[in-house]
Amino acid sequence: MAEVEDTLKRIQGINGVIGTIVVNAEGIPIKTTLDNSTTVQYAGLLHQLTMKARSTVRDIDPQNDLTFLRIRSKKHEIMVSTDKEYLLIVIQNPAE
Amino acid sequence: MADRSDLKAELERKKQRLAQIREEKKRREEERKKKESEMLQRTENVSEDSDLDRKRRETEALLQSIGISPEPPLVPTPMSPSSQSVSPPSETGSQESIDGGTVGRYRTLQWDTDPSALQLLADSVHGCRMQRLGASKIVQIDFMPKELVTYCKETQTPVASDQPEEEEDEELSVTKSEPVPQQLEEESSQEAEEVHPRELTNEEKEQIVHSEDFLFFFDRSIRVMERVLAEDTDIFFDYSGRDMQDKEGDMQAGSNLSFNRHFYDEHWSKHRVVTSLDWSPQYPELLVASYNTNEDAPHEPDGVVLVWNMKFKKMTPEYIFHCQSSVMSVGFAQFHPNLVIGGTYSGQIALWDNRSHRRTPVQRTPLSATAHTHPVYCVNVVGTQNANNLITVSTDGKMCSWSLDMLSQPQESMELIYNKSKPVAVTCMAFPASDVNNYVVGSEEGTVYTASRHGSKAGIGEMFDGHQGPVTGISCHNAVGPVDFSHLFTTSSFDWTVKLWSTKHNKPLYSFEDNADYVYDVMWSPVHPALFATVDGNGRLDLWNLNNYTEVPSASVTVEGGCALNRVRWASGGREVAVGDSEGRVWIYDVGEQLAVPHTDDWSKFARTLMEIRANRGDGEEEGVLELPA
Repeated sequence: MAEVEDTLKRIQGINGVIGTIVVNAEGIPIKTTLDNSTTVQYAGLLHQLTMKARSTVRDIDPQNDLTFLRIRSKKHEIMVSTDKEYLLIVIQNPAE
Repeated sequence: MADRSDLKAELERKKQRLAQIREEKKRREEERKKKESEMLQRTENVSEDSDLDRKRRETEALLQSIGISPEPPLVPTPMSPSSQSVSPPSETGSQESIDGGTVGRYRTLQWDTDPSALQLLADSVHGCRMQRLGASKIVQIDFMPKELVTYCKETQTPVASDQPEEEEDEELSVTKSEPVPQQLEEESSQEAEEVHPRELTNEEKEQIVHSEDFLFFFDRSIRVMERVLAEDTDIFFDYSGRDMQDKEGDMQAGSNLSFNRHFYDEHWSKHRVVTSLDWSPQYPELLVASYNTNEDAPHEPDGVVLVWNMKFKKMTPEYIFHCQSSVMSVGFAQFHPNLVIGGTYSGQIALWDNRSHRRTPVQRTPLSATAHTHPVYCVNVVGTQNANNLITVSTDGKMCSWSLDMLSQPQESMELIYNKSKPVAVTCMAFPASDVNNYVVGSEEGTVYTASRHGSKAGIGEMFDGHQGPVTGISCHNAVGPVDFSHLFTTSSFDWTVKLWSTKHNKPLYSFEDNADYVYDVMWSPVHPALFATVDGNGRLDLWNLNNYTEVPSASVTVEGGCALNRVRWASGGREVAVGDSEGRVWIYDVGEQLAVPHTDDWSKFARTLMEIRANRGDGEEEGVLELPA
């Protein structure tokens, strides 16, 4: 769908955004704006982390579920929006 | 007789038959016993109505397999009490209790679910077929609940490790080894999955992207994500400054001075030195750069001026202007947005207009003695919208003032002579903010002079001595704020130093000695009172914030390629710095917010810094300092 492409391009064009990745439930990247090796690395690691975070949330309250994960490091900010099936990962440089 | 023999034979036959029958009977008995015991065992196994029973049978089986026959010495002892009492057979639990009267040879430990009645059926060792039922000692064995043993991938240990020897441990380890191979399976399946991502084909990806599910997810997530991205406030900012101290190294290098883009044109910029830069006052994204001759291309025009646009990503200049002689200095005409003025090596002033389609100048000053005959290194438009003049100074010390409408002859001209003896070879010139009469010039000998255009003291005023080499750049403080610092100016020179002066003192206030090569240019920030930029021959761009340190630059970056940097110019907003190098490239650097944007107290802080500087210097050298009348 062209809208998806356009939207991703628009996100990518926002000042400070380094990359955008869409990952499916198994951790396989579907769409990305980064190079392949980086994408695979980010997708795999963040998928595992999201699974762990989700299980944490659900252990505390089984009715609850993870919706958004935001990781702030010294150099970047990684934002993961998640639902049952997919992950949307955006990596941003927050200093700008 | 025959009867007797017959009878005898018959008797014998009968005896034999009886014996046979007895034997058969015995055999059958035995078989039956066997069968029965088997059946009993089977019935036991079949009707498992509790884990406990199952476990007991397993233990039995294990014990038997080892060879420990289930002959607990307890058997005889409970026999006696049991022989007396006949415990009610609890039919609920024991499956076979009574019918196994003839269980026989095989001792089986019959565990009853009702622990109150433990029935040990003795066998026919004693030849006793009577079943002795009775209460017996209760031996309770607790089985620990099955441990749920989980392993993380990292702590996975190989299965074929030590098998403990105890029985219970054996049983437990049997159960343990079951989850372990499961873990191994999961691992390998995970690895298989990790290999898998690379195999998702484009068609599959397209399919997923077009699916309804995905679109729904995407729509929702993108909305949130855009909101998050749009918020660019730094929620982690620590006002106490502790964070800044920790990551000062990183912050300095990283966000304080970051490369934005560079401008370079293959045809026009190659092999030319950037001689001058200027930002447009009307359109902050326009930058004009002048270049000198390209020795490799003698048929190309010697002087090139390019107007670059920061706003768009295109790599080609907006306007290209030529001139027959190298352009040494260039500037946008302050009050005429369409005009670009250039001073050339031959002494001519060229005027280009971007309304015309010509690349050559629309107006040029004549090559005559009334105008300049030496290279013009400084051009400046001063004044107001209605009354403005173009001031140009050449290296023979001549200052001319022109009107932009008529460049055929200067409105006025003046020789800059110091002490009525020698003309000043001017290399750079600067006007303080909002001053149209007085200005400062730097010379080839390393001295700096103030000069004024009109008035009783027209011409060279004071001399400032301090540099040991030609002065390459001069810049007057032009940040406007609560405190007025317009008497300050900085100079850069071939003697590797940058000096800070005040027009009130003829000796430098401070000397910045951090460079290791000729410093080619210096410029104050247009917004920050304590910030200025310098460039040197090593390709280094330094930003000095005098409120932070006066010994070292607050931010520094070396431009790629290691070319000498010839010019530096701040953009009018004070957030970007343009640097021109000796290979024809113009580099644009973004200055981070922390450094570029002044705080309201920066002015007072700078005033204090100045006082400190003066105090320090006052301690050092007192002689030779002349307090100059303002």
